[in-house]
Amino acid sequence: MSSISSSGSRDSFLFRTERVSKLYPDGQVHAVEDVSINIRRGEYVAIMGPSGSGKSTLLNLLGALDWPTSGEVFFDGQLLSKVRNPDRIRSQKFGFVFQSFHLLPILTAVENVQVPMFEGTLSAAARVRKAKELLELVGMSHRANHLPQKLSVGERQRVAIARSLANDPIALLADEPTGNLDSVSADGVFELFAHLHREQGMTIVLITHDEQFGQLAQRTIRMQDGHVKSDVLSERRRIRTPLPPFAV
Amino acid sequence: MRFHTFVLKNVVRRRVRSSLTVISMALAVGIVVALVGVSSSTVRSFTNIYDRQDVSIIVEQRCAKQRLTGVLDEKLGDQIAKIPGVKGVNPGTVDYTSIEELGIDAVVIQGWGAESPLMQRLDIVPGGRLPKAGERRCVLLGEGLAEALEKHVGDKIPLLDNGKYEVIGIFKSPVSYETRSMVVLLPELQKFMGRPGLVTGFAVLTDRPHDEADVQRICGAIAALAPGLSAKPAAESVRSTTEIKFLQAMAWITSAIAIIIGIVVMLNTMVMSVSERTREIGILRAIGWKRRRIVRMVLIEAFLLSLCGGVIGTIGAVALTRALGHHPAVAGLVDTHISGGVIAFGVVCALCVGVLGAAYPAYRGAQLLPTEALRHE
Repeated sequence: MSSISSSGSRDSFLFRTERVSKLYPDGQVHAVEDVSINIRRGEYVAIMGPSGSGKSTLLNLLGALDWPTSGEVFFDGQLLSKVRNPDRIRSQKFGFVFQSFHLLPILTAVENVQVPMFEGTLSAAARVRKAKELLELVGMSHRANHLPQKLSVGERQRVAIARSLANDPIALLADEPTGNLDSVSADGVFELFAHLHREQGMTIVLITHDEQFGQLAQRTIRMQDGHVKSDVLSERRRIRTPLPPFAV
Repeated sequence: MRFHTFVLKNVVRRRVRSSLTVISMALAVGIVVALVGVSSSTVRSFTNIYDRQDVSIIVEQRCAKQRLTGVLDEKLGDQIAKIPGVKGVNPGTVDYTSIEELGIDAVVIQGWGAESPLMQRLDIVPGGRLPKAGERRCVLLGEGLAEALEKHVGDKIPLLDNGKYEVIGIFKSPVSYETRSMVVLLPELQKFMGRPGLVTGFAVLTDRPHDEADVQRICGAIAALAPGLSAKPAAESVRSTTEIKFLQAMAWITSAIAIIIGIVVMLNTMVMSVSERTREIGILRAIGWKRRRIVRMVLIEAFLLSLCGGVIGTIGAVALTRALGHHPAVAGLVDTHISGGVIAFGVVCALCVGVLGAAYPAYRGAQLLPTEALRHE
């Protein structure tokens, strides 16, 4: 493995943080402290580290779900804290995948996938069409009209991934997407990420505890006590081993 | 899926939560509509009595705040009748009586002359008749009272000096106060009350009852006839009597309490219902929904739930008060007709309070950072 240097022009990075710190109001401990990282467009990055190391906080800051106490976060050259409408960036540029899926329980799979599209310009018919295509992509078209409670946890996460792709995001941000899944379902989810990265060139930033899955990424950022402990390219990136084919 | 379809599904598919919210709203609205409706209808029925009979002016003894205690010379009626613009004068005596044998307390008994205008205007149910001058021991019963007593034309009831009075007629009235009253000839009531030749007041009919200036002029002319006379337009006179003031005060306080309780319950219901959804709001914020869209979603849902609660509560209140209105304890005493105004007030109140109650937690939830909302339990 080799360490990442911050080579390249500043604006060539999709995500860039400059000495970012986050101090939650209910404690005196920094969730992240003085973190500076760069992520290029099309990179597949795994953030790893023990619980409480600041992984999720860093991901939330990258995804404009939270704001740093100090330091700056840039997305595609734009300073996020100066962006007039961060909702629009979240809606149109990012896709979020959560550990506990966060599907709306009263909506079927195909309806859940359409929820982010309300912020777009598609017609109602086009929304349905696209939602079906996305469910097809994640191998869930046969369960399109099922409520989340009727789906297995792995299926729920696939629907959540389809939802995250609803507005054709540039980057997929996933917070322990396989944390609640069995190993077979988790394999499927990572195959899906690999497919999206390989076939669509999507930038993927994911948090995982699993070393095996972490190794599937091109680059691994390890965190500890709110600091970046290491930031390395994986062997896979350097020798360009083909990723496993996507299968459902 | 359209946005409004999504909102509707949110309401329809969350059956338990939507039902509980609607039930709570319906109860609160029902309380408001029932209590405010009954209170206002009862007061209105009293104040409308004279309107319905075209009575323009009530003449009473000055300082007699309760009509029962007023004492005026019956002959004053002749002088009042001579005032230009006066169409008719109805001397009358009013009292309360009880019919212990039949278990009836506090029935209003009116004493009117056989030829008096108010007697002539009574709407007698077919089969009955008005009394003749000089006729003795006869009584007219209001429809509600006759029903409560289970008496018909030709039956006899113990009255006044415990003599047997024959029911010669039953009269209809849309006013609960009247329908639960009885009318006897004036001399008999005067005799029983020990006030021969005296009355508690006069009801005066004028040629131009809707001409306020003319009514005021006649009031002045009547008041000038004798010291201690009070002549007021009928509506004003009714409002100034102690009984009506008491009733209005009771109605006001009952309505105020009902409205306060109703609003607190409605607010609490909607605030709790929306607060429970903070996490869901966090999900929608995280996937990029604008604050404005989230607030709009919650407000449309609150509007639908409040509308359902308002309509169900109002229908329930109308049905319940009507059903309870037939109970012997209240039949005829309390007017259970709920006006359209009160129904509209109940529904509008539900909509306003429901939407307002939802606006605060929706706005607060939408203001949270997505991460804060997602952490919310």
